[in-house]
Amino acid sequence: ADIISTVEFNHTGELLATGDKGGRVVIFQQEVENKNLPQFRSEYNVYSTFQSHEPEFDYLKSLEIEEKINKIRWLPQKNAAQFLLSTNDKTIKLWKISERDKRPEGYNLKEEDGRYRDPNTITALRVPVLIPMDLMVEASPRRVFSNAHTYHINSVSVNSDDETYLSADDLRINLWNLEITDRSFNIVDIKPANMEELTEVITAAEFHPHQCNTFVYSSSKGTIRLCDMRASALCDKHSKLFEEPENPSNRSFFSEIISSISDVKFSHNGRYLMTRDYLSVKIWDLNMENRPVETYQVHEYLRNKLCSLYENDCIFDKFECCWNGNDSVVMTGSYNNFFRMFERGQRRDATLEASRENSKPLQVLKPRKVCTGGKRKKDEISVDSLDFNKKILHTAWHPQDNIIAVATTNNLYIFQDKVN
Amino acid sequence: MILKGQKRKLEPEDREASDRSSPTWESQRQFVFSVSLNKYQRGQELPEPSLRRSVLIANTLRQIALEKHGEWPRDSALMSGEPATPPTNRSPSEDEDWGSAESDFSLSAAISSILTALDSTIDGAPQAALRTPLRSLENLPESAGDVAKPGYVNDVNMEDLFQEVDASLLGRVGYPAEEELVCYLPPFSSASSNFKCLPSFSSFSPLSSSSSPDSASFSGPNQSREAFELEHLMEILVES
Repeated sequence: ADIISTVEFNHTGELLATGDKGGRVVIFQQEVENKNLPQFRSEYNVYSTFQSHEPEFDYLKSLEIEEKINKIRWLPQKNAAQFLLSTNDKTIKLWKISERDKRPEGYNLKEEDGRYRDPNTITALRVPVLIPMDLMVEASPRRVFSNAHTYHINSVSVNSDDETYLSADDLRINLWNLEITDRSFNIVDIKPANMEELTEVITAAEFHPHQCNTFVYSSSKGTIRLCDMRASALCDKHSKLFEEPENPSNRSFFSEIISSISDVKFSHNGRYLMTRDYLSVKIWDLNMENRPVETYQVHEYLRNKLCSLYENDCIFDKFECCWNGNDSVVMTGSYNNFFRMFERGQRRDATLEASRENSKPLQVLKPRKVCTGGKRKKDEISVDSLDFNKKILHTAWHPQDNIIAVATTNNLYIFQDKVN
Repeated sequence: MILKGQKRKLEPEDREASDRSSPTWESQRQFVFSVSLNKYQRGQELPEPSLRRSVLIANTLRQIALEKHGEWPRDSALMSGEPATPPTNRSPSEDEDWGSAESDFSLSAAISSILTALDSTIDGAPQAALRTPLRSLENLPESAGDVAKPGYVNDVNMEDLFQEVDASLLGRVGYPAEEELVCYLPPFSSASSNFKCLPSFSSFSPLSSSSSPDSASFSGPNQSREAFELEHLMEILVES
């Protein structure tokens, strides 16, 4: 139940939220004291923990609904409180996280412990005052958006209009107003009239960061569709279709499975789109649909292991990807607790490892290398020694600083760019 | 490729099968086919099967079947960069004994001819989302010869079929002789245009409860033959 299932920084990077398989959300807060010191290093401490979703039972279908948190998305901050959307397979909840550091004291009718005073003993009137108290962080569910998805929700994305958000399941995408919980609009529906004809499902969806009318969704066949909500109410017809023709020399039985897109993310500047399929990360220019502008191989050495990876189900793993704050570096996870970073302009990449055995706090991470040939150099790892149970599916990058959060199965690692 | 002292985590797939007609290509195709079938069935048994996974596995099965019908692009070196797992290096989890190359050939021939007999119209789809326990119980068909009913109805009977296969898989580890395999092959001389393609799970005719997997005689209408062929196909996969 402690398996981390999603990781997300808020818009300032001060807060980092994680969701787990047990339906819990844990929020970490960055300690910002001494930020101007040259040796400054951030610390993220637990800020709030709450149970977001509980397991439910669908009586009509005799199915249990998992409480695992699939996605968390923060809303931009508008007042003192923070808001986030968290979702499991079927229900999205809007949580308000607020701080309380003062409490009232000096009531007229109540004692300090809450007992009511005998009215006959009250002879004077006083005004209660607010006195400081230990900081208390409270999380309360403000909205529950339920009963809108027949299939499993895989994505949630907040619109730049600050009023709406979308939720996507395997076959449909719904548009919600943050204030209204009993209604949502269906904007994409790819369910065929005859389920026997189903060959493609929706795997991820996201709103454009600036254009509130634009969103994209990716499919299990490796295509990305960009839709404009101004064109029609039901966006079944895409405005743009991003698809790269298949390389015939790489064709195999598993071509379709490895082309299935597991994550899609707009760049912060809104000009590019990043997609993650099983073996690679692709960057697309929104103005060019026929091929990506950049392709990065995450673990190409797995290409001739696909049969075994199909057998042990690893080929179905859904890796996420993320941009850094200025869109110059992209990051994604791999196996053996490795994660990969690709520096776009410099054409440089790095493989790093998130594990307690191989890194101590404050120690600089050593780049790792996977050896594919026969002769293994010192410190290299051969493909056969990779642990496929240690997978990094969820990663997040601080929106401004070079601080990253990397989730292994049970642990969260926070790394920071070396200072000095 | 395996280093001394290194724990082997993955099957080494060293041999390349760039020629589609080679035995390693054929055996890998069979392997993927049987693995896919198992995966699909096990996925369907889960209380809430993952739709994405079911669709991907069904598409893979469909692709294998399509390839059999020669619709695969001829000039692509399909297996380049994708070496086949040699049958003799089966992973520990696989109990089947592939035996000699000769039995491989006869098995391949058997599978190929069975698949050739199947119609190429594909309409397979996982019924995961539609299926509910109540619904499937309510709608069991009266007659065994009902081919056209879509979805969950046939799914139930497919489930029965797979239950049989599963049990027999457990019981028949290392089943030997190719002669016995050959004797189970159904005759293909008769027209078999009524068959639907294998991945089209919903199109399989429901098995009548009286048909036994060991029966070797053919009688009755085409649809029971269809059921027989399916059984024998599953048997051959199991016995290999």
